[in-house]
Amino acid sequence: MNDIALTENLVAAGRAHVVRRFGMKDARFHGLTAAAALLVIAIFGGVIVSLIIGALPAIRQFGFSFLYSEAWNPVTEKFGALASIYGTLITSALAMIIAVPVGIGIAIFLTEICPRPLRRPIGIAIELLAGIPSIIYGIWGLFVFAPAFQTTLQPWLIRLASDIPFLRNVLAGPPYGIGIFTASLILSIMILPFISAVTRDVFETVPPMLKEAAYGLGCTTWEVMWRVVLPFARSGVVGGAMLALGRALGETMAVTFVIGNAHHIQSSIFAPGTTISATIANEFSEAVGDLYISSLIEMGLILFFITFVVLAAAQLMLRALERRAGGLS
Amino acid sequence: MDAPVQDKVKVDIRNLSFYYGTSQALKSITLPLLDRKVTAFIGPSGCGKSTLLRVMNRIYELYPRQRAEGEVMLDGENILDSGQDINLLRSRVGMVFQKPTPFPMTIYDNIAFGIKLYERMPRSELDGRIEVALQRAALWGEVKNKLRESGLSLSGGQQQRLCIARTVATKPEIILLDEPCSAPDPISTAKIEELIDELSNEYTIVIVTHNMQQASRTSDYTAFMYLGELVEYGPTEKIFTAPDNKRTEQYITGRFG
Repeated sequence: MNDIALTENLVAAGRAHVVRRFGMKDARFHGLTAAAALLVIAIFGGVIVSLIIGALPAIRQFGFSFLYSEAWNPVTEKFGALASIYGTLITSALAMIIAVPVGIGIAIFLTEICPRPLRRPIGIAIELLAGIPSIIYGIWGLFVFAPAFQTTLQPWLIRLASDIPFLRNVLAGPPYGIGIFTASLILSIMILPFISAVTRDVFETVPPMLKEAAYGLGCTTWEVMWRVVLPFARSGVVGGAMLALGRALGETMAVTFVIGNAHHIQSSIFAPGTTISATIANEFSEAVGDLYISSLIEMGLILFFITFVVLAAAQLMLRALERRAGGLS
Repeated sequence: MDAPVQDKVKVDIRNLSFYYGTSQALKSITLPLLDRKVTAFIGPSGCGKSTLLRVMNRIYELYPRQRAEGEVMLDGENILDSGQDINLLRSRVGMVFQKPTPFPMTIYDNIAFGIKLYERMPRSELDGRIEVALQRAALWGEVKNKLRESGLSLSGGQQQRLCIARTVATKPEIILLDEPCSAPDPISTAKIEELIDELSNEYTIVIVTHNMQQASRTSDYTAFMYLGELVEYGPTEKIFTAPDNKRTEQYITGRFG
């Protein structure tokens, strides 16, 4: 009797010891993960703070005019970011306009139409596009695509548009080959794999029964995809597109190669321009004078801000979409 | 087995075999479906009853390596012929699934969607058609004030009735119900059964069910299937009271399956 009680006590004590050890292990684990998360926030904050400090001279000198001035003159030290901001937004927008429909089209083809044996090879090929370093896109764009575009498609487009009001100004010559449009096109190829891979993945989560129900009503593939699958998967699709947009806004190397690096805003999308990241990459090494460097840093701060705002807006949009869908997880 | 000769045969299934890749799921099924009657398919899981249903609107074709052999004559035309317009076929043969499948759109659009696939009509007429369809599915009272809300906001049983309304709205000739009451609550189940009874005045209905009581309550004819074969077919009353086949008797009395 006594023996049994003693053994029970021993067992209880042993168990308490083990539980304490578990507790300590868990506390360490919590601490480690929390530290990892805090590190991210610390880095984030550090980047912002150092950007602001670096940008202070330019902010003091130019104030808000930095945002709406197109001037970029290192000699007289007059700097304005408007041309770069415009270039960043317009190239990203054009790239999205091209890549989103094509990316969704690829995803539809891969999930619904493509013969099964071809699905994996084509899917892998598209994912490989994402693995090509951007410098390769840049070189290819500058030495292969731009000259070809300059001698074939571009003159034809300019001639075609020359009689159409509005388009006459948007697609205006001379055909340089490089320029805003070429940069957008290269960007769209670069972000295409993100959009199509994410979209394909969310399309595959659509319950087969839902598709069967739509086909069962007599829908064509187009109707099933457009009216049922795409609305069902829209939050995922928007998420993929935002990932791509984030990449497009910040892409540097490929754009720097093919955009022409001109600090002017022109109505024609065939004209050379620049983006924030292209300007920074191009000019940082030769920037002399504190104000010049500070202006470049302020541009970096603006890019940071733009990316942040775009991604936040995307989140809000996503939430609104989900509320409207009601109960859709 | 006294075949009911007085009724018109709507679908005549003859020597139908079905394969998933190399495994045979249906073995030479021959079975009539009578016009404006409810036929129930019963049998243990994996006996091929759902497969048989899926042949009738050729939904199985969405998947590779599934194929059917034999004949399924709908009003004298073999729907398995490659020349058949598949969208037209599916507009004539509506299907309701095991789980509710509302589309990610409003309640109104869920029903308008199916109608608009085949018909163009002024808004007022469309509104009327939608109301009728929802009333027929015994759902109108519950949703008439929230037609603009998402179909996904409804409860499971309501969603299932929405799907039935959607199917009815396109005016098919045959309605296939694949275990339509496996998810809904008892009240929705009762409503759906009432609905089946009412719809059978106008439509040829085929229902797959695991629930013996449901089969006996709702159907005029019952087909008992086992391991891909049709074991017995006849008037529901006879199948449930005096089946010819020993296995049928064992199954409906719950001794196997």
